[in-house]
Amino acid sequence: MGKSNRVLGHYDKPMWESISRKKWELQFCPDGGKFRYPPAPIDPDTLSDVYEWRPITGTGEILSWVIFHRKYFDDHPPPYNSIAVRLDEGPIVVSQLVGPEPEGSWIGHRVEVVYGEHEGYVIPHMRLIG
Amino acid sequence: MTDLNPSAALAGTTAMVGVGHSDWIADYAAVRAGTKPHDSFGYAAIAFNRSLADAGIDKSEIDGLVAGPPTAHERMCEVLGIDPNWGTQADAMMGIQSAMMAIATGMCEVVALVYGNDQRSAAVNYGGSNAAGGNAFLSYIYHAPWGFTSQGALYAIMLRRFMHDTGFTERDLAEVAVAQRLHSSLNPHALMRKRVTVEEYMATNYVCEPLHLLDYCLINDGGVAFIMMSAERARRGKRKPAIIHGIGRHDLSREATSLEPRLTNFYRPAQKKVAEQAFNMAGAGPKDMSCLQIYDSFSVHIPLALEGYGYCGYGEAAKFFHDHGISLERGLPVNTSGGHLSESYMQGWNHQIEAVRQIRGECGERQVKDCRYVHYSSDVAGKALSIIYGH
Repeated sequence: MGKSNRVLGHYDKPMWESISRKKWELQFCPDGGKFRYPPAPIDPDTLSDVYEWRPITGTGEILSWVIFHRKYFDDHPPPYNSIAVRLDEGPIVVSQLVGPEPEGSWIGHRVEVVYGEHEGYVIPHMRLIG
Repeated sequence: MTDLNPSAALAGTTAMVGVGHSDWIADYAAVRAGTKPHDSFGYAAIAFNRSLADAGIDKSEIDGLVAGPPTAHERMCEVLGIDPNWGTQADAMMGIQSAMMAIATGMCEVVALVYGNDQRSAAVNYGGSNAAGGNAFLSYIYHAPWGFTSQGALYAIMLRRFMHDTGFTERDLAEVAVAQRLHSSLNPHALMRKRVTVEEYMATNYVCEPLHLLDYCLINDGGVAFIMMSAERARRGKRKPAIIHGIGRHDLSREATSLEPRLTNFYRPAQKKVAEQAFNMAGAGPKDMSCLQIYDSFSVHIPLALEGYGYCGYGEAAKFFHDHGISLERGLPVNTSGGHLSESYMQGWNHQIEAVRQIRGECGERQVKDCRYVHYSSDVAGKALSIIYGH
């Protein structure tokens, strides 16, 4: 088994540092005017290697969700959920919904980021708005 | 981008002439009993020998070699004692496309494509903390901090959105496992031969909801090999060849890690382009296909491919299942061997064997009557590829 690992590539580290400050930032390409996720060396549209780390609002909409019934990680005992969220800034991120769960379909519900602790680091989770 | 039909000149020029595989059932039993009959090269070598015998050719005729991952091309050549003029490491789908180009351009004349995988006895993980494939597909490992792991989960989250958008249900999806078990029950090479019902499917556990256990491929050891050459040369040979009339490929890798092409449009743009390439090249369309072989690491590939390649309209897969049918009993048979769910998980390689056997008319109880064309399709993590086999 083993625990879940973060991918901490060259461009990921500044993002996780911003998360540790509880102010999630993503790369923003001034040329193309778009945020990107996951972090990467260049913007795939403009091919520009110029970028800024900009804070995101942390709000978005659930695109889809799953419930894990099989155990894959020592630090994630099933059952637990994972969700795909379309951030208001554009990119899709995967996270987990914490707190109350919607009745019926989860798709289309508005969520906002809430920072939790996991294995000694700060991690962005999502909770329903309202 | 222009409308490409890059391979029209290759239509009907290449053929499969020999297929072989290891004894999947014996391999599976041995591994479950705690023994390890072979490593990946060993399984590949057994399959290679059988493909030569099936083709009725001598090893000396082989001057090109494709080794399927996890095996390396160079070491495979050493093990098989082949000094080729051309070769590469590639999966089944890319390997066939590359071999066609190599043969057409005169780089080599006869290509052996060999694959062995000890994934079960070597305890390869497709999810969890050391999930395989993350170097090529970042989505396989990137979301682990949120517990999101395994290729099954990637298709489960895609299926959930598909169900939301189209009204497709878990009971509809059960039809895939039921049909493919019917097919594997007629296949002496298949690992899982017991037929199942929709109710039995629904009673199995979820692995990653909404996917049930029977939506997942098997994990087993084994090997597959096949021999390709020009259609002209194949027609002079001893065995009836399966001619490749069409092939097409389009990848959707942009924003793959953030799941954009999965969740936004279910890879449909890739399948639409590939359908145009492959069907135009073959001069045949969905209505001409006698059966389909669809890469089925998970059952959800089947409704997505049927819609994506135009066998039915978008959102109509469930209706197609019920009104038309996807089994040897009724309608358009899909995965006539049982596929990855029920025959053997040979990562697209065993589907080519079944396609060749159906064209040759060698499939016994599961033979599709008057089999004229076989459509093979895969869309592994957004790499869509189709092959049209025929006479």
